[in-house]
Amino acid sequence: MIRTELKRGTAELAILSVLEEGPLHGYEIGRRIEEHSAGALRYTLAALYPLLYRMEHRGWLRADWVTGDNGKRRRCYRLTSRGKKMLKPMRAEWADLFRALRQVAKVSHA
Amino acid sequence: MPDWRTYVRANLGSLSMRRAEEQQVVCELAEHLEEHCLMLCANGSPEEVAIAKTCAQAGDWEELRRGIVSAKQEGNMQERVKQIWIPGLATLFSSYILLAVLQWAGTRPWISHPGEPRQIFFYTPWLMALPFIGAAGAYLSRRANGARWQVYFAASLPVLALGAFFLLLIPLMFVTDRQVPLSVKGTAFLALMANWIILPGAALCIGVALQRLLNRKTIVN
Repeated sequence: MIRTELKRGTAELAILSVLEEGPLHGYEIGRRIEEHSAGALRYTLAALYPLLYRMEHRGWLRADWVTGDNGKRRRCYRLTSRGKKMLKPMRAEWADLFRALRQVAKVSHA
Repeated sequence: MPDWRTYVRANLGSLSMRRAEEQQVVCELAEHLEEHCLMLCANGSPEEVAIAKTCAQAGDWEELRRGIVSAKQEGNMQERVKQIWIPGLATLFSSYILLAVLQWAGTRPWISHPGEPRQIFFYTPWLMALPFIGAAGAYLSRRANGARWQVYFAASLPVLALGAFFLLLIPLMFVTDRQVPLSVKGTAFLALMANWIILPGAALCIGVALQRLLNRKTIVN
């Protein structure tokens, strides 16, 4: 299991990446991340929502209330053009980090 | 199944934000928990187990409360910068740079009662340009969803800044300079306020009003 401190740094990239597939509401964002990471990345409300609000204020995400088929209103997040622009350098940054860790700590990733 | 909104409200406590905004946060978190609980039930968990697991999934409520408050405050600060300070500083600098350029180019003001304490001077080209500068400041503030007072504040920042400076400095001069009669000082003060605060302020506000009018017409069309 990955420690909370480590997971926190990954959350921005994980959120942007799952939203690249299309607009999602908060619960679905968390679920998709968990699914794609085979359960390794699981965020509590305390980790997920403050970050979503922060990213929204930075203009990386846009949130709108949407009424679903079951009549329930949910806050749906979508990537903005600024958020899309953030993805590429962020991915490159993480790739650099993995490369560096591989060399220093003999860490390998799948 | 518990009422998740009540559960969230009870655990989250006050977020010290606008009621509507707080309500939205509570709704969003409650929806999240409800969905998680329903998913666990659908996957075969007994209701009590699903509820317990869902409550545990929420994590540390105090951490969540602090995180949300801090994220929202950061956002509000960024909004204030866009709504007030960027347009305000743009208006401030452009208006005084324009005045400096006009003075450098040799434009002379028209002066009423020259040489007297009550002299009022009109930098006509500057005063005529100020509505456009005020309108530009108002546009920038409004584009960032500035409220009406924020739009007026940003557009009239040049005179507000100068007004604050005068109000701090001039009473000091009243006290320190004892040779000039009080009536003369008073008249000079009023003339100074008219020259640098009232007239330019009115010109800037005309700009805001024109921008509002233009904006309304654009929306109607």
